Amino acid sequence: MPITKTMLGQLSLLLMTIGFAALLATGAGLVWLIENSRSFATGVSATEEVRLAASRVLSLLQDAETGQRGYLLTQNSAYLQPYHDAIEGLPRELPRLERMVTATGGDTGAIRRLHDLAGAKMDELAETLARAELGDLQGALAVVRTDRGKVAMDAIRQSVARIEAQSAQEVAARSAALNRNGRLLLIGAAAAFLLILAVTIGAALLAWRYTIVLETAQAAIAAANSSLEARVAERTAALAAANEEVQRFAYIVSHDLRSPLVNIMGFTAELQASIEPLAALVARLEGEAPALLASDARLAVTEDIPEALGFIRSSTQRMDRLINAILRLSREGRRMLQPEQVALDGVIGAIAGALQHQLEAAGARLEVAPGLPVLRTDRLAVEQIFGNLLDNAVKYLDPSRPGRIAVRGRRTATHAVIEVEDNGRGIDPRDHGRIFELFRRSGRQDRPGEGIGLAHVRALARRLGGDVECRSAPGLGSTFRVTLALTAPASAPASEDSPA
Amino acid sequence: MNAAAQAVTIVMVEDDEGHARLIEKNLQRAGVFNEVRHFTDGTSALEYLVGAGRPEQRPFLVLLDLNLPDMSGFDILARLKADPQLRAAPVIVLTTTDDEREIRRCYELGCSVYITKPVNYETFAQAVRQLGLFLAVIQVPPTP
Repeated sequence: MPITKTMLGQLSLLLMTIGFAALLATGAGLVWLIENSRSFATGVSATEEVRLAASRVLSLLQDAETGQRGYLLTQNSAYLQPYHDAIEGLPRELPRLERMVTATGGDTGAIRRLHDLAGAKMDELAETLARAELGDLQGALAVVRTDRGKVAMDAIRQSVARIEAQSAQEVAARSAALNRNGRLLLIGAAAAFLLILAVTIGAALLAWRYTIVLETAQAAIAAANSSLEARVAERTAALAAANEEVQRFAYIVSHDLRSPLVNIMGFTAELQASIEPLAALVARLEGEAPALLASDARLAVTEDIPEALGFIRSSTQRMDRLINAILRLSREGRRMLQPEQVALDGVIGAIAGALQHQLEAAGARLEVAPGLPVLRTDRLAVEQIFGNLLDNAVKYLDPSRPGRIAVRGRRTATHAVIEVEDNGRGIDPRDHGRIFELFRRSGRQDRPGEGIGLAHVRALARRLGGDVECRSAPGLGSTFRVTLALTAPASAPASEDSPA
Repeated sequence: MNAAAQAVTIVMVEDDEGHARLIEKNLQRAGVFNEVRHFTDGTSALEYLVGAGRPEQRPFLVLLDLNLPDMSGFDILARLKADPQLRAAPVIVLTTTDDEREIRRCYELGCSVYITKPVNYETFAQAVRQLGLFLAVIQVPPTP
């Protein structure tokens, strides 16, 4: 069963609660046991008191009997002192004993019997002493001889012994209970300890299992990551291969397209050459025998065929230029980038110098903001990018106002951003994406060009780890913003094999 | 040395019939009337040049197209330059592309001139003439 984080929390809480409850129970048991021991001690001392009080009662009764015997022997009333003390002490001691026994939960029946027996004994003593005081010594002795007093005294001794035994029994019972409770508590504490131990082990096991689950999950994530990296590498390789394929395709297509074109151009030239003697013949015929010359034949030689040849020639030348453009782009894509330190100030300055003549002819001004970024990139590619953009800016200026072209740049953390702004004729917003496509041009087609420059710029900017975008409003001007990586990405080595 | 016996034979290896015809016409127009042997594939050209029944000790000038159906022009060039008898024969490479790496490779393999099509026939004829003269060519005038 997999362990979730929530489950781990709940289980841990449960185990902790169990352990804590066991600890609490053990503590409570201990408190209870201490309380129990204290009440035991109190009980033991109370029982001792009962025994003491009982023996005091017995002693008082014995003293009273001793006083009676002494008086009966001597008739000296001085011997009666213990007897009088007993008469005085017993009404105090007996209720006290009774209270104590009641308090300790002893047998009050035994006390009441003792009470009665003591009463009977005292009555017997009082009777004998009353007879002796009246001079009836023989009568008194006769009462003694009835053994009434002795019997009562024996019963009293037995009764006191019973009370004492009962007390001792109670102490023993309490002691046994205390022992039992102590043992119970010990067992309970041991059980609680075992429970806490079990809970601790359980918690540890839980944590261990959860760690294993976490580790498994981590391993799975690592595996997923590495497979992701492998997939990315795979895709990158596939993309590079596809790109290579496109480059080869462009190369081969342009190569093979040129072959038939060479024939068309060559044989057009042959036709041109062949038409010359024919034209001469027509001219001669016109002069010598105009009747022989049909007017449509003359028209064909002097106008139709040269016109057709002219169109064929201009079309094939255009096609040749287009194919060359594709070839150049594909070649540019295959060229190894050679990153070096390139200061844009210098690059733009050199282009501006080369454009000076055209700028003057157009009456335009080029302003280059100082402090353009320095990049580590391919110099030739950067030169081509800004050469094309500035060339376009000059080419498409609006003749109705003085031309103004501005170049400015800044750098971000990873890229240089350079803007080439002009106040030229502008580009229709519909064409902002189109102009970067090969052979696509915008606006009036009144300037020479094949629609290659911006396609080339975009391809180069992307190779240098950047891009180019256009903002423009017709009639106001255009701004081309080029972003270039401060450090150009390493280019894949172009294959040195011939693509043919 | 008999000049006539030493007349240079131009061996043209070109798979496109149109190109071949244009080259021939322009050579003649430029006044080069040497015998032209035309082959449309590499195998038959090599068979003629380095095969068992090849003509003895005749000077050749080879016009070579790089894109042939059966093999690359580089292979033929390498074979020619590896042959002791033909090593000295001038080779003019004619091709549709001006790829720098191809040009460099051709010169490394020993080609004499590299010309890109469509051909400027003026310079082409001049190159043929110069290379032919270098080899003591006697142009055979057309029999009237």
